[in-house]
Amino acid sequence: MPPATAVKAVSVSDDPQVYEDEHVHGVYDEIAPHFSSTRYKPWPIIAQFLDSIPAGWVGLDSGTGNGKYLPLPLERPGSVWTIGLDRSRSLLEIARTAGGSHREVAWGDVLGRPWRPGAFDYAISIATIHHLSTHARRKAAVQRLLECISPSHGRALIYVWAIEQDELSKRTIPCDSSEQAPASQEKNTPLAGQDVFVPWVLSPQNQPKAPSKRKHEFRNKGADGEEQQVSSTGATEPPSTKIFNRYYHMFAQGELPDLVCEAARDLGLAVGNPKEHVDAARGIEVVQDGWERSNYYIELRRWEYQ
Amino acid sequence: MVRLITHNLLACHAKGCTSNNFPLQFKDIQVELREAEFNSDFLRGFLPRIEWAALVDASRQLGDTSLPAEQPEMLDDDFLQKLHHVLLEIHVEEGAMICPNCHHVYPISNGIPNMLLAEHEIG
Ligand SMILES: [Zn+2]
Repeated sequence: MPPATAVKAVSVSDDPQVYEDEHVHGVYDEIAPHFSSTRYKPWPIIAQFLDSIPAGWVGLDSGTGNGKYLPLPLERPGSVWTIGLDRSRSLLEIARTAGGSHREVAWGDVLGRPWRPGAFDYAISIATIHHLSTHARRKAAVQRLLECISPSHGRALIYVWAIEQDELSKRTIPCDSSEQAPASQEKNTPLAGQDVFVPWVLSPQNQPKAPSKRKHEFRNKGADGEEQQVSSTGATEPPSTKIFNRYYHMFAQGELPDLVCEAARDLGLAVGNPKEHVDAARGIEVVQDGWERSNYYIELRRWEYQ
Repeated sequence: MVRLITHNLLACHAKGCTSNNFPLQFKDIQVELREAEFNSDFLRGFLPRIEWAALVDASRQLGDTSLPAEQPEMLDDDFLQKLHHVLLEIHVEEGAMICPNCHHVYPISNGIPNMLLAEHEIG
């Protein structure tokens, strides 16, 4: 029998909202006090993206968690403003003063649209969309991002957990921008990720145990900055240790770009370089996508002809 | 926090509420003033995207009458300081925001606006 702390495959059977309330939001509300944002060092691609945002732009961090990205870029504080949205009220209490200054946060769902359409210049969604338990909901979350950024210059960056947890060569998976693809190709079975529970182990004093006593069978430094260390010490866990199982949809290779392209097309947006779509009024272009430290990411921008 | 920078972006998203759903109106609010670092690059860059009438109206609801009804063409330091104060130094800590169209109430507590909708209110 696998230890209680092992990552295990699950199948989502309930109403997805009810399911996420129990296995995502409820968990984060309970474990929020144990998140610390102080030791976090932003990942290169996220930091580069925010470094490249011009002064005066306003952005949305959809699923901000403890708000660790809200202070970026660190070199020029206050030159851009990122507003943090999260479903966990407890995490927002941390996010509202992330990095030692007052931040702007809102309590809400990544599937909501409490903004003027196109109000933001940029949006990031880091380690969030993988907590949604159906393809339709993940697509809707991407659509909310596309809708909230400026149709003419909006930029977005999305990170999700990857099934591929080992070192891979970085490779770009080009978006299939051919809209005249034969029906047989169009109807290919969607790339399937994997639904899992990832446990969060809360020991009584919240003391991390000595790593030497643990045999790590699964390890991931997630884009949420949280070290995942899952041990197989089995029965040696003290009885008062509490384990919270969080739901994740781990993405397959190519699944994220496919999801983004499908989300865009369903909004009537062309996908690809604007020069190749002179007949389209609006669209998105994938700027880069790839794999970084156990996560898939995609950066895109919106464009329109005026 | 609900500072006016955020208020200028928020809109009602209750089911079927798609017009006249901005700007939300403040109600029964408690305000705190906190100094923020002045950054003129931010203000100059953000200015063209502000919904100006909504910002002026909201600032008056918060008791600040320093902004002109029309956006000035000359961005002198005096104006930028006023804009900075209105956008970034007035924190609405408690109260609510009401949709001008459907009158949905978005409560603000401990500086955090509650933009969640109940299942039956989601559009
Ligand atoms: Zn409304």
